[in-house]
Amino acid sequence: MRLPLAWLRTYVDLPDEVDAIADRLSMLGFPVESIERKPSITGVVVGRITAIEKHPNADRLQVCTIDIGSGKPLTIATAATNVAAGQTIPVAQIGAILPHITIAPRKMRGVESEGMLCSAEELALPAEWFEDGIMQLDESLPLGSDVVAAFGLCEPILEVEITSNRADAMSVLGIARELAAAYGTALRAPSFENPGSAPTPAERMPQIELRSQDCTRFVAQRVEGVRVAPAPSAMRIRLAQAGQRPIDALVDISNYVMLEIGQPLHFYDADAIPHAHLIVRDAAPGERLTTIDERALELDERALVIADENGVQGLAGIKGGSASEVRASTTSLLIEGATFVGARIRRTSARFALRTEASSRHERTLPPALADAGVARAAQLLASLGAQLFAPVVTGGAIAPAAQIALASSELARLLGIEASSDSIAFHLRALGCEVNVDGEKLSVRPPWWRRDLTQSVDLIEEYARLEGYDRIPESLPCVPATTVSSARYRREREAAHLLEALGYREVLTYSLVGESLLGALAQGGLDERARSVEVANPLSEEQRYLRASLEAGLLAYLARRDERATIFEIGHTFARGENAILETPMLAFARAIDTVEQPEWQEEGFARVKSDTLAILARLTGRTVTVASGEDRFLHPGICASLSIDGHPIGVVGRVHPYLAQSFALARPIYLAALAFDAIPEYVAPTYVPPSKYPATYRDLALVLAPEIEAAAVERVAREAVGAECVGVRVFDEYRGAQVGPDKKSLAVRITMQSPNETFTDAAIDERIGAAIARLHDELGATVRR
Amino acid sequence: MSALQPQLDDVAQRLRAGANAVNDIAALEELRVRFLGRSGEVTLVRRGIGALPPAERPDAGKLINDAVAKMEAVLEEAKARIARGALDEELERRIDVTFPAPEAALGSIHPVRRIIEEISEAFGELGFATVLGAEVEPSYYTFDALNIPADHPAREGFDSFFITPELLLRPHTSPMQIRTMQAHRPPVAILAPGRCFRRDAVDARHLFQFHQVEGLLVAEGMHFGHLKGALAYLSRTLFGPEQRVRFRPSYFPFTEPSAEVDTTCPKCKGNGESCSMCGGSGWIEIGGAGMVHPNVLREVGYDPAVVSGWAFGVGVERIALARYEIDDIRRLIESDTDFLRQLQ
Repeated sequence: MRLPLAWLRTYVDLPDEVDAIADRLSMLGFPVESIERKPSITGVVVGRITAIEKHPNADRLQVCTIDIGSGKPLTIATAATNVAAGQTIPVAQIGAILPHITIAPRKMRGVESEGMLCSAEELALPAEWFEDGIMQLDESLPLGSDVVAAFGLCEPILEVEITSNRADAMSVLGIARELAAAYGTALRAPSFENPGSAPTPAERMPQIELRSQDCTRFVAQRVEGVRVAPAPSAMRIRLAQAGQRPIDALVDISNYVMLEIGQPLHFYDADAIPHAHLIVRDAAPGERLTTIDERALELDERALVIADENGVQGLAGIKGGSASEVRASTTSLLIEGATFVGARIRRTSARFALRTEASSRHERTLPPALADAGVARAAQLLASLGAQLFAPVVTGGAIAPAAQIALASSELARLLGIEASSDSIAFHLRALGCEVNVDGEKLSVRPPWWRRDLTQSVDLIEEYARLEGYDRIPESLPCVPATTVSSARYRREREAAHLLEALGYREVLTYSLVGESLLGALAQGGLDERARSVEVANPLSEEQRYLRASLEAGLLAYLARRDERATIFEIGHTFARGENAILETPMLAFARAIDTVEQPEWQEEGFARVKSDTLAILARLTGRTVTVASGEDRFLHPGICASLSIDGHPIGVVGRVHPYLAQSFALARPIYLAALAFDAIPEYVAPTYVPPSKYPATYRDLALVLAPEIEAAAVERVAREAVGAECVGVRVFDEYRGAQVGPDKKSLAVRITMQSPNETFTDAAIDERIGAAIARLHDELGATVRR
Repeated sequence: MSALQPQLDDVAQRLRAGANAVNDIAALEELRVRFLGRSGEVTLVRRGIGALPPAERPDAGKLINDAVAKMEAVLEEAKARIARGALDEELERRIDVTFPAPEAALGSIHPVRRIIEEISEAFGELGFATVLGAEVEPSYYTFDALNIPADHPAREGFDSFFITPELLLRPHTSPMQIRTMQAHRPPVAILAPGRCFRRDAVDARHLFQFHQVEGLLVAEGMHFGHLKGALAYLSRTLFGPEQRVRFRPSYFPFTEPSAEVDTTCPKCKGNGESCSMCGGSGWIEIGGAGMVHPNVLREVGYDPAVVSGWAFGVGVERIALARYEIDDIRRLIESDTDFLRQLQ
């Protein structure tokens, strides 16, 4: 909200410079986002053009005689075309300082010019909002008076943010109230007495019908004898300073009251409303409204409207319609000052993307009493322009006074951590307009009508803290009691991240919301993720339409876009459509590119590397044995993919990126990926220590010839079972295919290690066990020993 | 005096001279064999015992044994000298220690995680648990239970991505407050870090996804001064021991009193007229905080007359920008290796 300091000062004395005032506001909860400082202007006074002549030597210049009340008229030449005798205008005298020039006497084509007539722009006002050429001032202004001081032209303008709970602060008066309370200075609030008392003649009497509970109050007032003309200078300039374009006196008055006290008003041309009959109701489906800015809206019952007997005349609390708007011919007004249920206004405003100064106030739910105050202020201002007023007509129930709130000073101390006397609490609350009764440590507080946000004791505690100053509350660290909440999930995630860090992986963050560029690349690689992906109903763009269904896709995109050689991981959530729910899964995925080396086709060094990383991480996280088997995964090469499980429960996969995907992402190097589901990883079990045997371990190496499809894991399992409990290790350590074993065969070298806790094995005992293993390997796997 | 003494003295003296002269272990061994070997010089002397009168023989034997022991000591000494000489030679070697070594293959965790860990550890020392939660949450946990009813204007401040009208990507980690309090009786003391989402157009200062760390402490006797202390502690953890915090009144439906929290600008330390980080104010905003609203406590079945609590939420990316002086928030997502390496 734009807040001209000059306007603010009319209601409250501010014993500070603008920066200090801005700080004060920030520390009251109204952050000042910017301060618009005005250039220094001096020497500009009110003048009147008493005579005007054509310049003798220049067609485009005129020579004006100006009375500035000094008894000595000035002669000023001007190129402006909008000057005429009798006009009251701002005059920059000799020595005046304007934003870009200092005025000195000078000859204009032979005529001595003793100053300059000023345009709005030269007075640091927005040029496009005022007349072309010389600015026009009220006739009533004393000649020779200082224009800059009269209108606060050099005073800065604050841009203040108002939090959504403060309906009362959306106005100059609202902020003035806060500053008066903070500085302890008096508030000069305008009167809210309505000067209209004459009964409205029956046939012109406003008839207001509230057919919706969402209108909480409707104050109508008939005003006659109005004229559409420019508003007084002071009002026009104030509006412009506050960021509101001046239009004409009637529109300006409604805007002025809204900015001044926060109540939006609507002025109808009374002659356009049959029987002065207005209805607040839900719109009928298909009803249409053309707004005053010529937007055509098609409405339905969700919209709250103000209608007359012929149809919709405005979107309640948001914008009026063009059919009954004030126009040049308007002579009588019907003023509407109403309050509504904020949520209703907010929904409609959002639905039509129609955010107005009015809606931004109404959506905070204005207090009903503000409607009376707003209409009264407008009536006062219209009366000052000579309008004829009738008495306001109020529709809506009586306004209940705010409920009393009980507050104990001990409760305040408990929440704030500082002691405060009942009197000091009462002092601050009274400064905000509350009625306070003090009874020992107990206070009974009735908030003022404009503070409907104050409903319970904690609201008052906050008000006290705000006015007292948050910086007056000393810092202390609490003694935290022991709690029952566990950090186990977080700790495991952290440990996984650090294990990967130690293994050389760098953590990256990729986007959780993905779109066509990623899904398209996946689809081109034969993987259509759209069907499984969860869609966002209101994405910012097509590129963020879906929740990611995997971490792998993000990692591939990263490698393709950033650095194909990177060794990376991400920990994050993935999402998939379930039957009736969204399946959200915390995942860990990592990828590593390994340059192709010379290797036989049945070996994959890169796979082995990432597999060993994966097993190491799982071993550390769980303390358990991981089972590796050939597996399947949509991102991985079908022949180079292992599934991992612990105690029969699948945990994840590791393998080489599917060649179609690699091609689609234009990845030249082989990429190896692992993906693990955090919640599937069982919790850590501490291992049991086995003391070393006193007897030596012995091993035998076997070279087995087998069918190529027999997996190493099967060989290890069978050998282990055959040797029995004394087998302390079986490991396949080499594979060979080729001429020496013949076609359709492979040779695996396996080392079997045995150790007894009770004795040293004799050669015979070893041979017996190895013999048993060879027999089982032959029977179960068709393996023969290569000699 | 034994007749053998001069002989022995002569042998010992020559052995000593020889031992002092040799400089390698092999030569020393040769020397040992020559004097003390089976047919060495001492053996020759020992043969002379037979020529002595029987009464002198025992003394002569002892004399020879003592001399042998001394000679062996001389040889040992020489051996030690030679060994150290070899080490001393090694000590003369010099390498260029500044010659670049290959980089260790250590990876890195993301700066966002590092900040979360630092906060988690610091508050863990105070007794806070760290909890993780879902990113898609029902609106009950994101809004209703947090005292933000439907159509509350504050919902606009959390401009959210919706999946269905009732299901959305969490705009803050506050749902974990509700879930934790509903699952545990007070006291609770938690940190809830995690990814959050708001419909912000992406630019140098905004992302539609970001990380928040929320802190919550509900117990008997918790007050606003503790909250200020906790944020000062947080700020000092992240930016150094001289940090100060400033609380400015604000409005959040789930806390009251509420505050925006600023900390001393880490770049200019609060005194930079034209500081590019804080714009000269000397403060940077790190988050929001406040006393848990009684309506929220009631919603989870806690009695606001008995317990009180406070909560804060800080934006991790914002902290990262300030701490590492990162010029553009987008660098934190899909960060290139150079970025990750610099901030590892």
